[in-house]
Amino acid sequence: MTSLFTTASESDGEVLVETTPNDRHFDYCLEPYEPRRSPRGGLRSESLLWQSFRVAGAEPRVAESVRALQHACGRDATVWGVKYDGSQLFWELYFYDPQKRDAAVTATRVGETVAPFYRIDATVRESVPYFMFSYDLRVDTAARGRVDGLNLYLAEPRGHAGRSYTVQGERMELENHYVFLPPKTDVHEVVARIRSSTFVDFDRVSLAELLRPQLFSCRRVCVARKRTCDALYFSGIDVDQWLWFLRAYEYPRDFVSFAERCRGRFEHLRFDVGIDYRSGPDGRLARPKTSFYGTV
Amino acid sequence: METTRGAFHPTRFRDLAVTVDFHCNSACRFCIVQEGMNRYRGVPLERFRATAAENRVSRKYERVLFTGGEVTLEKSLFDFVRVARESESFAHVRVQTNGRRLADAAYARALREAGVDELFVSVHGADARTHDGITQRPGSFDELVRGLDNARALGFTLLSNTVITALNVQELAAIMELAAAHGVTSAELWGYLPMADHAEANALLAPVSEVAPALLAALDRADALGVAALVKYVPHCLLGTRAALVDNAQPDVIIVESFWDAFPKFSCLFEAVCEHSDSCLGLSHAYIDRFGWEETRLRPEPRVTPWKERDAPAEQATVDDGDPARDRHGVWGRLLAGVEDAEARLAGVQVSRTQVRYGFELGAGARLDVVLEARDPAKQALARTRSFNLFYAGLEGDPSREQVRGLLERVVAAVQRGDDGTLFLDGRKGLLPLVDERPRRAPRPPR
Repeated sequence: MTSLFTTASESDGEVLVETTPNDRHFDYCLEPYEPRRSPRGGLRSESLLWQSFRVAGAEPRVAESVRALQHACGRDATVWGVKYDGSQLFWELYFYDPQKRDAAVTATRVGETVAPFYRIDATVRESVPYFMFSYDLRVDTAARGRVDGLNLYLAEPRGHAGRSYTVQGERMELENHYVFLPPKTDVHEVVARIRSSTFVDFDRVSLAELLRPQLFSCRRVCVARKRTCDALYFSGIDVDQWLWFLRAYEYPRDFVSFAERCRGRFEHLRFDVGIDYRSGPDGRLARPKTSFYGTV
Repeated sequence: METTRGAFHPTRFRDLAVTVDFHCNSACRFCIVQEGMNRYRGVPLERFRATAAENRVSRKYERVLFTGGEVTLEKSLFDFVRVARESESFAHVRVQTNGRRLADAAYARALREAGVDELFVSVHGADARTHDGITQRPGSFDELVRGLDNARALGFTLLSNTVITALNVQELAAIMELAAAHGVTSAELWGYLPMADHAEANALLAPVSEVAPALLAALDRADALGVAALVKYVPHCLLGTRAALVDNAQPDVIIVESFWDAFPKFSCLFEAVCEHSDSCLGLSHAYIDRFGWEETRLRPEPRVTPWKERDAPAEQATVDDGDPARDRHGVWGRLLAGVEDAEARLAGVQVSRTQVRYGFELGAGARLDVVLEARDPAKQALARTRSFNLFYAGLEGDPSREQVRGLLERVVAAVQRGDDGTLFLDGRKGLLPLVDERPRRAPRPPR
C-alpha cells in the first residue's frame, strides 16, 4: 500500500510510512510541536492508524476513504483518534479550520470527499461557528455505506475550552464540554475539576486512578464532561508514556507488539491519549473507552 | 517518560560510584539491582584505570565508591582499590557493603591496608529477626554486627544505609541506636524504591502516614547520639523542620545503562507549585498507584521562584539577537558568542541533561550541528576541552570544506576559552553499552 504523499513500505501487511523532510508535527488540537528527536529514519504517526486498521480487520475501503481525505485536506492536516472500548477498535477523524478559510475542510466538503465510500448522515448549517468537526469510523463503515452523524466543536469565548454537539440528520444535541489546562502549574484547578463529578464516587475511587502518575508529566490535560461519563486527556506525552498507556489499558496484543517493536521509530513524536471513566455499579472505576491520537 | 535521572542537576559530582560486579551473598527483599544481579557486568578495570587517570588531571571527583552487588565477594575489588590509590586522584576510597565479610577480621584488615578508608554498610533491622528477614540470610545480622566492630577497631569511617520498608519502619530509631553503638557516625535513611511492578515488591511500601513519624523519631534519636543523618527518596514536606536533611543527590555512577531504564519514576502532584520540588522527588509511581497522590498529607510550600519542568526534553530555541530565547540558555548561548559570521548563523540551541546541540545554518540550505557532551577520553571527539567532548553531526547540504573548517575552528576556540570548569553535562548515559550485560541464562527446568 502506498500513501498518496509519502513513501510507505509494507512488510507482513504492516504499512510503515517513512518520515519526510516536509513533515509537520501537530497535536490533537492541530497545534504544532517540535519533534522530540530528529524525525529522520522515523515513521509518520499515520503508520499507527494503518496498523490499527489492520489489527482490527477494517475493510480496505475504510483506509481508502482516509487516504482520499489526506489528499483533499492536505498531509498532516487531519487528526485521527484510535479508540478502544475493551473489545474492539474504532476511529474518529477530526477536521480543523478555526478561521473557516479552507473550503476543503468544511463538513459539507468532507462529506462530498467521502461520498464514494459512505454517506455522513448529518446536515450542517455552515453558518454555525464551529472550528472543528469529527465523525466516527467503524470496521464496517464502508459496507454499511453510512456514518450516523458527526460532531461539531465550538470554542468557548474565554480560556482554552470548548463544547461539542452531535448532529444526526438535522437533530443537534450537546455532547461534551471540555477545558485544557497545564497539569502542574494549574494542579489545584485540575484536581478541583476532576473531583467535581457526578459520575465518580470519590469515596471508592482515588484521584491517582484518574490522574495517573505515569501520564501526569504532559503538556496539557483536558478535563471533559460527557453525557454519560467524564474524561481526561493527556497531551504531549513521549513514546514510553504512550507504550505504558497501551499496556495499562490493554490494547490488542498485536497492536501493542507492533508499537513496541517500532518504538525507536516513533521516538520523535509526541502523543495524546484520552481516558473516559465513571464509577461502575460496584463503585469501582469503569473505563468505557480510551483513545490515542495522531495526524495523517 | 519522566525519570529520576533528570531530576537533579548537577548530580553530586564530587563522588564517583563504580560498579565492580554483580553478585551477592544476601537476597535483600528491596534490592534495587536484583534484576541485574549475576547479569550486569561491572566496569572493566582498564575503564576505571582510565577514569582515575583522567581524574588526576581534572580533579572532578574527590571520592570513589565501589559498589555492585556485594563487592567484598569480588577478588578484583582489591585491584580497583589499588588503582584508585595509585592514581593519587581520590581523597577517599569508600566501599558499599552488607558488612558480612567484615566479620572476618583479617579480611577487614586487608581492606584497610589496601587503602579503603570509608565503609557504607547496610543496616536494615535493629535485631536479627528483622534484619535477617529482610536479607533472607539467617546469621547475616550477627555477621554485620561483628563486622562493624572489626571495622571500628581498624579506624574506618563508618556510614550506614537503611532502606525504609513496611518491614522495618517501626524500628528506625532503634536502628540508629544500634548503628551508633557499633561505631557508625553517619546514617542514610532511604525511602524504598520498588524496581519491579509486582505485588511482592509493592507490599514492601510503607504509607507515608507511618514513615513520617517513624523517620522523625529516628532523626531525633540520631541527633541525640551524635550521628549525622540524611534522608533520600522521602518527600521533603513530610519532615517538617527536619526537611533540610533530605538530600537526593547521587554520585555519578558508572553502571549499565539499562539500570536507569528500570529505575523508578517519581512524581508529585505539587511539583510546579512547591518551592522544594527542585530537590524533592515526590513519590514513586508504584507508591502513588498503591496509596494515591497523598494530596491531603503532602504540604507544599508555596513556590516563589520560577518553576521549570523536571527532566524537560531537549529545548528548542531560536537564537536571534534580541530574542529572549537566547536568555533561556544563558551560559550555553554565550559560550559560542562571536563564532557567527556572514556565512554561519546560529539558528538554535538545544540543551538536555547530557548534551548541548548548536544548530548552524550555513546558507543555501546547508546546516550542521555542533554537539557538546561531557568530557570522555574514551569517546571519539573532534576536540576535547576541560569539561567537554566536542563533535559535529547532521551535516546537510553542500557547504564548502573551508566554510565548515572555519566554523569548527571558531567553535573549538570559543569553547576552549569559555570552558572554565563551571559548566557541566551529565556523562553517565552510555558509559557502558547494553552489550556489557551477561546473556540471561535459560530458566532451569522444574525439579
